[in-house]
Amino acid sequence: MIKSLFDKVDLTPPVLLVLGVLFLLLPLLPGEFPLVVGTEILILGLFALSFNLIYGYMGQISFGHAAFFGLGAYTSALILRPMIEAGQLGYVGFFLALAAAVPVSAFGALIVGFFCVRLTGIYFAILSLAFGELLFYIVFSWYSFTKGDDGIQGLMAPSVLKSGLVYYYFTLAVVVMAALLLWKITRSPFGFTLRMLRDNQNRTAFLGIDIRRVMLLNFVIAGAFAGLAGALWGPFQRSVSPALLGWHQSGVPVFMTLIGGAAHFAGPLVGSIIYTALNAYVTQFTTYWSLTIGLIILGMVLYLPGGLLSVLDGWRQRRRKAGT
Amino acid sequence: MSPSILEVRDLNKVFGGISATKNVDFDLAPGAKEAIIGPNGAGKSTFFALVSGYHRPDTGSIRFDGKEITGQKPHEIARLGISRAFQVSNIFPRLTVEENVRSAIQVRRGKAFDLFSRADMVGLERTEEILSLCNLSPKRSRPAGELSQGDKKKLELSLALAGQPKLLLLDEPTAGMSIEETKETMELVDRLNATFGLTILFTEHDMAVVFNHAQRITLLHRGQIIMTGTPAEVRANEQVQKIYLGGQA
Amino acid sequence: MPTDWGSLLIQLFSGLSRAMMLFLVSSGLSLIFGVMNILNFAHATLWLLGGYITFSIYTLLAGYYGVSILLLAPAVVAATLALFAIGWAIERTLVRRMYGRELPEQLLLTFALILIIGDLIRLFWGVQNLRIVLPIEPMPVLGSFVNPYLFFIIAVGLIVAGLLWWFLARTRTGKIVRAAVYSRDMVSALGIRIPNIYALVFALGVAIAAFSAGVFLPIIPIGLGMDMDLIVQCFAVVVIGGFGSIVGTFVASLLVGIVYSFSILIWPDGALAIIFVILVAVLIWRPWGLFGTEMRF
Repeated sequence: MIKSLFDKVDLTPPVLLVLGVLFLLLPLLPGEFPLVVGTEILILGLFALSFNLIYGYMGQISFGHAAFFGLGAYTSALILRPMIEAGQLGYVGFFLALAAAVPVSAFGALIVGFFCVRLTGIYFAILSLAFGELLFYIVFSWYSFTKGDDGIQGLMAPSVLKSGLVYYYFTLAVVVMAALLLWKITRSPFGFTLRMLRDNQNRTAFLGIDIRRVMLLNFVIAGAFAGLAGALWGPFQRSVSPALLGWHQSGVPVFMTLIGGAAHFAGPLVGSIIYTALNAYVTQFTTYWSLTIGLIILGMVLYLPGGLLSVLDGWRQRRRKAGT
Repeated sequence: MSPSILEVRDLNKVFGGISATKNVDFDLAPGAKEAIIGPNGAGKSTFFALVSGYHRPDTGSIRFDGKEITGQKPHEIARLGISRAFQVSNIFPRLTVEENVRSAIQVRRGKAFDLFSRADMVGLERTEEILSLCNLSPKRSRPAGELSQGDKKKLELSLALAGQPKLLLLDEPTAGMSIEETKETMELVDRLNATFGLTILFTEHDMAVVFNHAQRITLLHRGQIIMTGTPAEVRANEQVQKIYLGGQA
Repeated sequence: MPTDWGSLLIQLFSGLSRAMMLFLVSSGLSLIFGVMNILNFAHATLWLLGGYITFSIYTLLAGYYGVSILLLAPAVVAATLALFAIGWAIERTLVRRMYGRELPEQLLLTFALILIIGDLIRLFWGVQNLRIVLPIEPMPVLGSFVNPYLFFIIAVGLIVAGLLWWFLARTRTGKIVRAAVYSRDMVSALGIRIPNIYALVFALGVAIAAFSAGVFLPIIPIGLGMDMDLIVQCFAVVVIGGFGSIVGTFVASLLVGIVYSFSILIWPDGALAIIFVILVAVLIWRPWGLFGTEMRF
């Protein structure tokens, strides 16, 4: 009975539940450092979850997703900055600044997506990379508006939220709500329309679906959630810089999703835990982080292409084979 | 004479200088069950592709259910009620059998862009109906990519049915099937036509299947219609013997 | 904006020389994709590695024999051969395991190579930009001064382009490579060992890129991060020209190189933006490129 339940039930709720409890308990670890790493895991995890809407569910790979993360980060930073300078940062202004990132990133994704969804495969990948780099250069060189390479410094959250602990729980609350919303979307009829598109584009068109509209809507949703993640980043790191839009940042959700497993909703979150924790830990010993993560990616691609959570599928398959 | 559900007039399509469809006039009455035959390269698949909007005709017109559909996109034509089942099974390999059918039904019901319902709560009765109609219920939770060739074709047919079509285009529905599966599938086709009044147009290589199941047969050769008639008429026709049976056997 | 003929001419030469480099890097990228269906994200990173190796060998030689442009030749040749070997090894050990895998996994493998090679470069050469300074007299042209080395680069680029064309069009191996672009099955049906062809194409593509990096050292300092700027431009070139088409790559290189160098004159920050606009236009109007065939898209 239990065995057959294990075979049938969607593993996402238990995995999410375990992760949720771990995140709730994380501040019990001593020191400020786990809070910093934890907040980063959550923000980048949300970023990666939004990316996987395009990759795992729609079957296209975007190498420019950081553009929307960065757009969100800059939107809230540019709204927060004058309030902080005037010493008038309150909760309402702060929340509005975060919320504003969502429509701005969504709008950015609408424009970029309008072009990208005309293509698939490597052409989609190249075009998304090109647009990402284009937005990076715009932010980088528009000094009067974005302060260019200097970035925007001195960002913060208002009063109580300034505490690392409170900001951690605030981030946790936002990310949990966003993740639940994303999960709902992936299980909706639209979520299955995406899977159909991933599996067989021509057939989907024959069923009577305008493929480009599906891709565009999904691109915009993914951009909006990436923007929300980006908005949380500035007050956490106290600054934003053009690198947040660059290709290096676009690689982050790709790596996380690959490590955790793109076929599982929680995969990118698991990937974020491993990637971010490793990053925090490894960089204490060596400055060769790219080399380390590069070797890990190489190992994953060669030996565990489905990501860590695919181990669960392996168990299931063996049970099913043993059962019948 | 009852008005045709499908009305094709003077249809032409040229690929690289070769006429794949030439001056084709074709009518299909509602509730009919007909076959199109012809040797390889006769233009059967092109004809289906033109009717379902996958190719754009060079000249000519196609009317479906009283509406002009010439040059419309595949998804627009599908919405009007033409479903096409493919020769090479064309399914969603990573979704389960049930998810395949259920998702196709949800698309038909205009739920493709529904972000907030639960996919596993919409269109379940209809999913059950189609799964049991096509004998796929026992395999419902298998990933479609792992099915046998015959089961894939049945799923292909299920997907076409999920679109609640008025006209079903079947491109070699029994290709790759065993004798039992062929029988089972063609009985289903007969039932869909007789019980549900579905108009069906199919192509088929197996002449026994064609003569047993089609009410009328149209012979295509080099993109042109050679003749249309009952199975008995077609079998008796000398030209058919020469072009088709002679050319193939 | 300067409008005198001399500075326009300088911009033209600089654009042409840039086009040569773009062509030398992109042709390998395009060929590798055409033959193996692998998009090598790390192509420009291997180009960068070639530049660093050239620099080290040149510096070593210059330490013995003194600064001279002649010493660049053996350094470039040695680096080209080294990268040929490295390319061969990468294809044999890593890339070949990706054939038939899904596109994202292929992209990720070469993406991982960017990170690994980039950090290895930092490990061996550090983070500062490197440059070879050669004593070359500027040449007066129409009242402005041009570095005559630009002419040399343009000439070398044309010669290599010619050799590549000759290799693909006239030699038996080249014909096999071209056939492989159209049909892998046909080539293996001819009884030719496909794995060797794949390794050769990959190594050759990488070696030509490394060659161009070395030749350019006297006018462009190399540094970390340049590979990403270049790969994005090469993607633009290859997409505009059409994957697998050498002629298309050549024309697109000229287009991108010259547009780039003239847009720097008009709108210094917008050079890349203009190229992206061309890229987007081509992708939407003719996704298979100006010289590619629709079939392969």
